[in-house]
Amino acid sequence: MGSSEKRSKDIMSDIPTFSAENLQNNLKVIQNSRTFLSIIAGVLAGIIGFNGLTGFVFYFVVMLITSVGLMAKAGFSADLYFDSWNRVLFDGFLGGLMSFVLFWTFAYDLVHIF
Amino acid sequence: MAEDLVLDTAIRDWVLIPLSVVMVLIGILRYFVSKLMRSSPTPDAKMVKEGQVVIRARNLKAGANFIPPKSFRARRFYFSNEENGLLHVPKDQAQNPQAQMFSDPNMAMDMMKKNLSMIIPQTLTFAWVNFFFSGFVAAKIPFPLTQRFRSMLQNGIDLSTVDVSYVSSRSWYFLNLFGLRGLFSLILGDENAIDDTQRMMQMGGFGFDASKSLSAEKDGLDIIQHEWALPRFEHRAESVLKKLVR
Repeated sequence: MGSSEKRSKDIMSDIPTFSAENLQNNLKVIQNSRTFLSIIAGVLAGIIGFNGLTGFVFYFVVMLITSVGLMAKAGFSADLYFDSWNRVLFDGFLGGLMSFVLFWTFAYDLVHIF
Repeated sequence: MAEDLVLDTAIRDWVLIPLSVVMVLIGILRYFVSKLMRSSPTPDAKMVKEGQVVIRARNLKAGANFIPPKSFRARRFYFSNEENGLLHVPKDQAQNPQAQMFSDPNMAMDMMKKNLSMIIPQTLTFAWVNFFFSGFVAAKIPFPLTQRFRSMLQNGIDLSTVDVSYVSSRSWYFLNLFGLRGLFSLILGDENAIDDTQRMMQMGGFGFDASKSLSAEKDGLDIIQHEWALPRFEHRAESVLKKLVR
């Protein structure tokens, strides 16, 4: 049983059997949730008043939580929905950072600087 | 340098918040204006045909392993034989893409419209920010930066003693310009961000050098190694069925 299981997995990895459109859609969902969460995280970090390195650590923590949430949503079997695990973990990471910094600054200034 | 600057709350109320709100609103406005100005191009029949052929060849390449060898060979011959294959481009017919662009003024017009709808609002906003808000220290980023960022963040104030983490209003404009992209893709849908790249891809795939992409597809089809997948799928079916029986 074990060997045949393995072989079937080999076949599946040999031939790419996925629909490109669905894959695209899944990636879009990831991108959107990351952007959304990075904006929320930025506002949160600003209101709480994180400073310097703490804020970036906060961003990393939020992104980690997002990754875990996305994985849970995918039922911890990313192969079903994506072509690799890296997609779930790293997609949209840097794009979100820019929004995060902007909203962090904005909220921080509104609440703490003036 | 060590002590903090005290910023007037009026700056927050009349510079920081209005600037950000205006940036968001202008982004939305630009989206709708470009949507209105976008003319759906009337496609040239030959161009569409070539594009479809490329897509069909791509589909064949993707699904090659799911059809028997004989059918695959027949289809490949249909696409890429040297006499009348669909992907075969006669040498003399290959058109210079540059000339093609000049012969089609609509395309150039479209591109110009697109660029104008990008550039005009940006210049206008920049001029507006420059005119009303020049020389303000508008914000402070909550993390320290090195001196190198001074020209980036304190554009418009010439004080070398102010801490680098203070941001001038003009630089706040630039920060908004780059950072709001994520927000726009959320509230306006993905069309906003993707549109440009998709347009470029369409140009590359269909219009610009169709003959080149045709011959590229032909080469791709020619070198493909056909291996029928069905016999191996029996093993998979076997294991699945065994699991079901158990």
